[in-house]
Amino acid sequence: MRDFTTPTDRLILGAFVLSILLVGALIAVPVLHAVQLSFYKAESFISARQWVGLANYTRVLADPAFWHAFALGLGFALIAMGLQLVLGIAFAQLLNLPLRGRAFVRGVVVLPYLLPTVVIAVTTHWLLDGAYGLFTVWAQQLGFGRPAWYDHPVSAALLVIIASVWTWTPFVTITFLAGLQSIPTSLYEAARVDGAGAWKRFWHVTVPMLKPLLLVVVLLRSIWMFNKFDIVWLITKGGPLGATEHLPILSYRKAFNQFDVGGGAAVATLSFLVLSVMIAFYFWYFPLDEKGSEK
Amino acid sequence: MSESLFARLPFWARAALWLGVALMCIWSLFPIYWMVVSSLRTPQDLFLPPVLIPKSIDWKFENYTNLLELTDYAQQFKNSVLVALAVVVITLLLSVIIAYTVTRYRVPGKSIIVGSMLYAYMFPPLLLAIPMLSIFARMGLADNLLAVVLAHCTLTLPLGVWLFWGFFKGMPFDLEEAAMVDGCTRLGAFIRVVLPLSLPGIVTVAIFAFLLSWTDYVFSFVLVSSDSNKTLPVGLASILGTFDARWGELMAGATLIAAPLFVIFAFLSRYFIQGLAAGAVKG
Repeated sequence: MRDFTTPTDRLILGAFVLSILLVGALIAVPVLHAVQLSFYKAESFISARQWVGLANYTRVLADPAFWHAFALGLGFALIAMGLQLVLGIAFAQLLNLPLRGRAFVRGVVVLPYLLPTVVIAVTTHWLLDGAYGLFTVWAQQLGFGRPAWYDHPVSAALLVIIASVWTWTPFVTITFLAGLQSIPTSLYEAARVDGAGAWKRFWHVTVPMLKPLLLVVVLLRSIWMFNKFDIVWLITKGGPLGATEHLPILSYRKAFNQFDVGGGAAVATLSFLVLSVMIAFYFWYFPLDEKGSEK
Repeated sequence: MSESLFARLPFWARAALWLGVALMCIWSLFPIYWMVVSSLRTPQDLFLPPVLIPKSIDWKFENYTNLLELTDYAQQFKNSVLVALAVVVITLLLSVIIAYTVTRYRVPGKSIIVGSMLYAYMFPPLLLAIPMLSIFARMGLADNLLAVVLAHCTLTLPLGVWLFWGFFKGMPFDLEEAAMVDGCTRLGAFIRVVLPLSLPGIVTVAIFAFLLSWTDYVFSFVLVSSDSNKTLPVGLASILGTFDARWGELMAGATLIAAPLFVIFAFLSRYFIQGLAAGAVKG
């Protein structure tokens, strides 16, 4: 560790301070501005603002749509995260087998994670197209008639969940696979000698060894699923009739479609609070220095 | 599981595991296959009952030529490339400076800086995008690609600082000190010793910065309004909204967005998977 003594050091210090200020401005200013906007009434981003104190919050919190969006987002995050976790762990186990072409298969499994959400959404729409979509045609051939995929709250929610699971499972797969490969094989051999079957070895060796890693994955995935806007927006637009409208979509629609920038900002600020609680959990479980050393 | 153990499994168990691997590949590949195949058929073909393996390919690539003629796709491709490259350069520069200073110097509030980076990394893009539009509109940057570049940096900078921080921390100071004893300046030691050693980290951060910028929908969607300033993801989504059931063109557009990513991945998958395994990548 050095102090800033020589001219070069001071040059580095200058660059450092500048960079921090820039990053700070880029992230902190919008957050503070969102909080500020939530105390005003405004119809658009460029129209005049009028101070209303906490009125936006009392209005939003009294609105059943807010609580519906909140519960829905929580449910969506937990279900999508849970399915990603189960599928990701299963995939990691398969990728950990000594099979020929394992590296290639691993590459194949990562591909969905690379794709932009919009590509996934557009392909989903094509597969489900009412007349020529492959899945629609298959459903008809199986005698289910022509499914109205988007018209029922449950099926619309399922579409979003399946698309999310397809896209973000590789995150769990690769993280968990890296964890699996860090467990010494001698532990498994010892368990085998003691007569433990595959299932027992998973619960009594793999899970305890990878508990910290599992917690990171569960927390990060829940946080990111809770806040995901694009996949829901691009597949259902929050429909049918608001059935899949979670907090990010509610916030967007208030600010852009309902001429209620203050309300949108209030929803955004409340989401920040929920998020901060989740992140506080994360830091509480994983204090910084420990995290840094494990990498 | 070791090789010999797998070979000793009963036949049905091995068969079941192979079946699992096959299903896993189909699950991951099928939508991508369908996207590419649909883009390669003639537009009329798509209005026939679908077949899994098409008998012929449209060698005139009508979907692609239509797409480029009817929309601003070429311009939007250029926009996306420019934005992503600018984001990569800014991210590398600033995050190397921040991470290097934090690991090598006595800086007050160091853990607060790194901690808030990680905190910022978990922020939802949409909730940043709404106030950003308000700020950029007042600064005269409404509907401007520069605004998109700056917005994407809020995704990539925390990631860059976080990855480089882990990277520089693991690099022994002795190496630089030795170079400095041998007559290098600190800057010289940094350029000749630290940078070459952190090349894998630089590649990893560059890939993820590019990926995050290239695939972003939310920021461009909120910040940009005119067709000629849109990036590819928003351009594709607006085709979905304006043209009815032009599935061939849409699949061609989707394939064109995905193709550069697949090419990069084919060459640099090692860095990509390492970065992903470090558990530090937003998605």
